[in-house]
Amino acid sequence: MSCVPSAVGSAGSRALVLAAAIAVLAGGAAAASGQIVSVPPVKIAGVTVLVAGDVSATYGGADPGWFLYTNYETSALRRLRAGITVDARPVRWLAFVADVRAETGAGVRAYAWFVRITPLRSGLLSFQAGRIPPVFGARARRSYPQDNPLVADPLMYQYLTNLRPDAVPASADDLIRMRGRGWLASYPVGNRDSHTGVPLIDMTRWDSGIEGRVGTPTLEAAAAVTAGTLSNPRSIAGPIRPQVSGHLAWRPAAAVTVGASFAHGTFFDQTLRVLRPDLQPGHDSQSAAGIDADVSAGRWLVRGELVFSQWRVPSAGTAGLAAPLGAGSAYLESRLKLWPGVFVAARADRLWFSTVAGSTASATWDANVTRLEAGAGWTIRRGLLVKASGIANWRDGGRVRREYLAAVQLVAWF
Amino acid sequence: MRNGIALLLVAALALLRPATVSTGGGVIRGLVELPRPQAAAEPRPSAAVIGAPAVRPIELRPAVVYLTAAPRGAFELDDSARASMRQQDETFVPHVLAVTTGTTVEFPNVDATYHNVFSLSKTKAFDLGRYGRGASKSVRFSRPGVVHVFCEIHSHMSAYIVVFAHRFFAVTDAAGRFAIPDVPPGTYTLAVWYEGEVRDTRQITVPDAGGDVESNFVVR
Repeated sequence: MSCVPSAVGSAGSRALVLAAAIAVLAGGAAAASGQIVSVPPVKIAGVTVLVAGDVSATYGGADPGWFLYTNYETSALRRLRAGITVDARPVRWLAFVADVRAETGAGVRAYAWFVRITPLRSGLLSFQAGRIPPVFGARARRSYPQDNPLVADPLMYQYLTNLRPDAVPASADDLIRMRGRGWLASYPVGNRDSHTGVPLIDMTRWDSGIEGRVGTPTLEAAAAVTAGTLSNPRSIAGPIRPQVSGHLAWRPAAAVTVGASFAHGTFFDQTLRVLRPDLQPGHDSQSAAGIDADVSAGRWLVRGELVFSQWRVPSAGTAGLAAPLGAGSAYLESRLKLWPGVFVAARADRLWFSTVAGSTASATWDANVTRLEAGAGWTIRRGLLVKASGIANWRDGGRVRREYLAAVQLVAWF
Repeated sequence: MRNGIALLLVAALALLRPATVSTGGGVIRGLVELPRPQAAAEPRPSAAVIGAPAVRPIELRPAVVYLTAAPRGAFELDDSARASMRQQDETFVPHVLAVTTGTTVEFPNVDATYHNVFSLSKTKAFDLGRYGRGASKSVRFSRPGVVHVFCEIHSHMSAYIVVFAHRFFAVTDAAGRFAIPDVPPGTYTLAVWYEGEVRDTRQITVPDAGGDVESNFVVR
């Protein structure tokens, strides 16, 4: 029976472009079965090849407070994205995986490319090397955006703090001046050009290195050695200490997963040392720890994460930044299915920062942020999802302290 | 689309036929030569996953052979019929289930992991939510048509439930053989459905004397 919907979206060039993209991606699978299903493996010159793709279009209100700005200097609520993943396996235990994405503001780039070695048929032990997915936390390894019940991402993965890897404040006052300015921060030491800061965990770029995973369906451990850090993934290591990170997941019941993560590595860029060799040695790291949980039953799905991160900032000799800069973030989200294909979802989200002592007053080194998002989604057919949500942001610093936005997102994948 | 139209036409066409169901009749039997799946269904590839899935067996994908038009009496069906499609080793077993309208299908989960059985098919849309090992939920199928079933958690899991308004159908066995018993004498259109599509149709006559009528198909 055909379940092909009669229309993809409303009129307008943006919708037409997206519809065309969806048509190309959905292709023959939709025509053949009436439902978009995964493309079956194909053999090419003896190599088993699997392909997956997705397209998403997001449109939301203007964001004068830069709450949803990305480090591609675009709004997360106004972007088009298309991605394709290829998994090629010449033999059972060896795979070459690549993920190429085109995104507003970022152009076309290889988001991930790595080799995967799986020595056991059970798949319980594996190693990956190249530009690899992070082991820290849970969310980065979920498929985006079809596995996100809402439109926006959690603050810890998206909100730009005022911290930069290529420039540092000369004093606590420099930091305090940049509170709520992660979208365009500047400091007197290092690169003096204004530029975006970094989120606690950067999901827009992946790190380069090696990782291993071992585990059973009940207990699983993963560890990685990479060139960059959670906030500042790098393509190449250079003459710096690599980041070590790990994640331990425990599934006491089929519907419950609890995880714990850690990471420690060199956050600040080597260019900073070249520009200012007088900077305090050793103070250049990011350390983070986090816990995550995922619980589901019946029509309910509840997820949450809590992450603490701290950065040791190289000082130019002035007082006030001897202690690490700390930040914490937590979110709790839930999805409830109402009818087949229809769900509602909500997320409560908070990002907070440690206090530094300025010359006249003490303040958090960046402005604390709270976000509430609630929305609904409709799976028009398998592989085609439309979501809409309302997003409320509050910040205790910066020019714009509160902002209420609405956004819609259309996602297609195969 | 063809398969949907064909199945929905069953009810309408049957009203035009004067024949009634006899207890005897003939047996339509034969062999459907099916394509051999080259590989097992795989999870949707994702660069975000650390590690590879376990190697999975290639599942049997049978065909359904049925009469597109059936005698009027064939619609006197048992509303209390029950069938089962279990979730086992991240696979729906069986991959194809053919039932009559009014049948209630159980979906027991025998895996250690959670599953979420759902379908957005027009014939019957449902979402059973997430449930674990040992639990089962059921759905009653009251309209003829094809229901494409999925698991929301495991992208590689899919199955079909083909719902008929009559009892003149058969699912091929592992060798591709089928048999439709007790078919009243008459001329019918025999159809072969495979993986979401009607692949072939042909006229077939069951003689007044009954007996076996053989019809073989090749599905490419």
